[in-house]
Amino acid sequence: MKWLNKRIFVIGLGLLVLSLLMGISVDSQAAPKSDWAKPNAAMDINDIPDMSDFDPNHPAVLQGDTIKIAVVAPFSGPASINGQIDYISIQWAAHVINKKGGLFVDGKKKMVEVIKADNQSSPDGTKKVCERMVLREKVHVLMGTQGSHLMKIINQTAEKYNVIAANFGANSDELQDATNFNRNAFQMTQSVSQLGRGLAYYYGKIRKKEKKFYIICQDYSFGRGLAAAFKQGLKEYYPEAEIVGEDYHRLFLTDFAPFLIKIKASGAEVIYTGDWVPDANNLLKQTRQQGITLPFANIYMDEPVGLNEVGVEGTEGLVNISQYGAENPAFKTEADIRNNKMWNDMWKNKWKAPYNAALYEWPLGTIGSYIEQTYWLLSVIERAKSTDPEKIIKVWEGDVYKFGNRKTVKMRACDHKVIQDFHVYESVRPDKQKVSMNIPPYYWSKERSAAGPVHVIPAEAVLPWMDPKLDRCKGKNGWGE
Amino acid sequence: MDPTTVMYVSQGLQGLAYGMILFLIASGLNIIFGMMGILNMAHAAFFMLGAYICYQIVAMTGSFWLGFLFAPIVTAALGVLMQQLFLRKAHVLGHFGELILTMGIASVIVAAIKKFWGTQNLPLSMPDSLNGMVSIVGISYPAYRLFVIGLALVVLVLMMLLLYRTRLGKIVRAAVSDREMVNALGININLVFMLVFGGGIWLAGLAGVAIAPILTVFPGLADQVGMDAFIVVVTGGFGSLVGAFIVSIIFGLLSSYGVQFLSNFAPVLMVCFMAIVLVIRPNGLFGVKE
Repeated sequence: MKWLNKRIFVIGLGLLVLSLLMGISVDSQAAPKSDWAKPNAAMDINDIPDMSDFDPNHPAVLQGDTIKIAVVAPFSGPASINGQIDYISIQWAAHVINKKGGLFVDGKKKMVEVIKADNQSSPDGTKKVCERMVLREKVHVLMGTQGSHLMKIINQTAEKYNVIAANFGANSDELQDATNFNRNAFQMTQSVSQLGRGLAYYYGKIRKKEKKFYIICQDYSFGRGLAAAFKQGLKEYYPEAEIVGEDYHRLFLTDFAPFLIKIKASGAEVIYTGDWVPDANNLLKQTRQQGITLPFANIYMDEPVGLNEVGVEGTEGLVNISQYGAENPAFKTEADIRNNKMWNDMWKNKWKAPYNAALYEWPLGTIGSYIEQTYWLLSVIERAKSTDPEKIIKVWEGDVYKFGNRKTVKMRACDHKVIQDFHVYESVRPDKQKVSMNIPPYYWSKERSAAGPVHVIPAEAVLPWMDPKLDRCKGKNGWGE
Repeated sequence: MDPTTVMYVSQGLQGLAYGMILFLIASGLNIIFGMMGILNMAHAAFFMLGAYICYQIVAMTGSFWLGFLFAPIVTAALGVLMQQLFLRKAHVLGHFGELILTMGIASVIVAAIKKFWGTQNLPLSMPDSLNGMVSIVGISYPAYRLFVIGLALVVLVLMMLLLYRTRLGKIVRAAVSDREMVNALGININLVFMLVFGGGIWLAGLAGVAIAPILTVFPGLADQVGMDAFIVVVTGGFGSLVGAFIVSIIFGLLSSYGVQFLSNFAPVLMVCFMAIVLVIRPNGLFGVKE
């Protein structure tokens, strides 16, 4: 009996050790109990002042000692619409803060001044304008931009001149890898790996219906990165899924028909794409013109005019992953309704072109995301009580913040990437949009299918990629702990 | 028909349609660049302008067909104005002068479009009568693309008839060949070139109107098609409408079957074909050595 007891003891001890090991490996990717649910600061939407004097075409001119933020974006050329979106979002957030009296930094109250810095969508233009902003305008923050190759230059300039670079629009994981990382640069926005894996999670863990996917993306690093992330995500979360085809096309393609014929013949049930406008619009339009009714799993197929052109039937069933997340309904409190209607009223009655276009109807989606990110940046500066980059870095690394739409974000300290939940929404017909659009007229649009059911992709399922070669991150888990 | 055959035949049809789209865009440039020798870098901008003017007419009248009829005419009128005010005087500077001038005009057109219509995408849907699928040898095919194929064929036939079966066409060909002699015969050479240029821009506007329902109308539309038009003209041979037509079809088929069989290399097939042609026939497939 003695030997039996000894064996039972040894086996039990072994099982205990094993379970402890398993517990460690499982819990390392689960939400850390320490700080995820406890933000250091939050945006109080009950406190948004009357913004009826806000006009993006005629921003207030500020004098004196201000907190200077340069919006490095295309304000001329074919991509100038991106600059418009960036500017109205960031300027809105700055105006909110200014109406509340500004921020107390460097020993006094300062207003937030937003300066347009036209990078002309070119590397050379980006370099020149960033240097001008830092050397002549003495900006404290360089905020940028769509195009990771351009954001890289912004980050490098920030490091060179010791200012802060805040990335709200470029998604490449490489921006914060071992080669490119610098302490002055913070990626506040989603990354490619999160987007692709997030959609794979949705299909594998939430929807669990379609199994055959066709990938069609733009043939450059972003498109290929999104495709790779989706494939990796399928392996992780949906191993029974099948990729029945994979194609990459040049940017600004005229004719998608040859690809669509292959898609038609492939037996695909879903088309996955990371295309952005105009390719996203052309792809959707031509797909429907070819009589193909397959849904798109997409990231940027959300431009209202393009969707309206295709119509309610053609846009029904689209699946979009968004970093501007909120569970349904879209307007949860009186403050939500008031703030969003304030924007909507001005859009309808006050703002002139280009800001009276359909794209700017509500401060949600991409615009909402940029506004929230700007609030976060300004909150960090306020808590740092300084425009000194070292103090800002100290506050921002590891910071947990709650957006106005109640989403929590965390800045992973070791590589300055943001950890966040994502949301996937399904496009439904106008009569079913009430689940999301819960205020009159209870639909987002009569001309297209739009947001209906929304599903959460938990942060732990889409932790941003961490470069194992980055020394700062060695030995840390996906949460940066 | 088995599915694989359906796929290959469909690719052929699509290649044909895309080829016709290329021909529509390139035909006007062929006349201006190929016949008149004017390096018009603003051609794609006029193509885009045609699409925008069509959008405006449709927005005002609700009729795509009115836009189809009048947008190319308005575009041509603006093109003639440009030619009379600027290009005619820059002709003495040679190709380089024309290049710089027309690039500037292209920039002005883009800026004017943004000023008047804004930078957002504009909807231009195809007419209801052409919105749908038709069956060809058991294959479903978009009706609108059939319309584009038909339109390109009509344009080709009309242009050929005009150039080779009318007195005006004779005069145009003679003027292109030897303007001094034609001038000496008492024919108003400036009027002839104005008409030819206007015709070329009319074709650009027509292409813009025809293709806009397939694409997105936005300020970058010109960038999408400009280079392809030049490649067609150069490869087909300057001034040869038949050359442009045949090369367009070849490019269309290369594009379709390239995507089908050599997806990674499809974008370069057109340029490779051009390179091979120019090595063997430096004046293009149907170009004539001067």
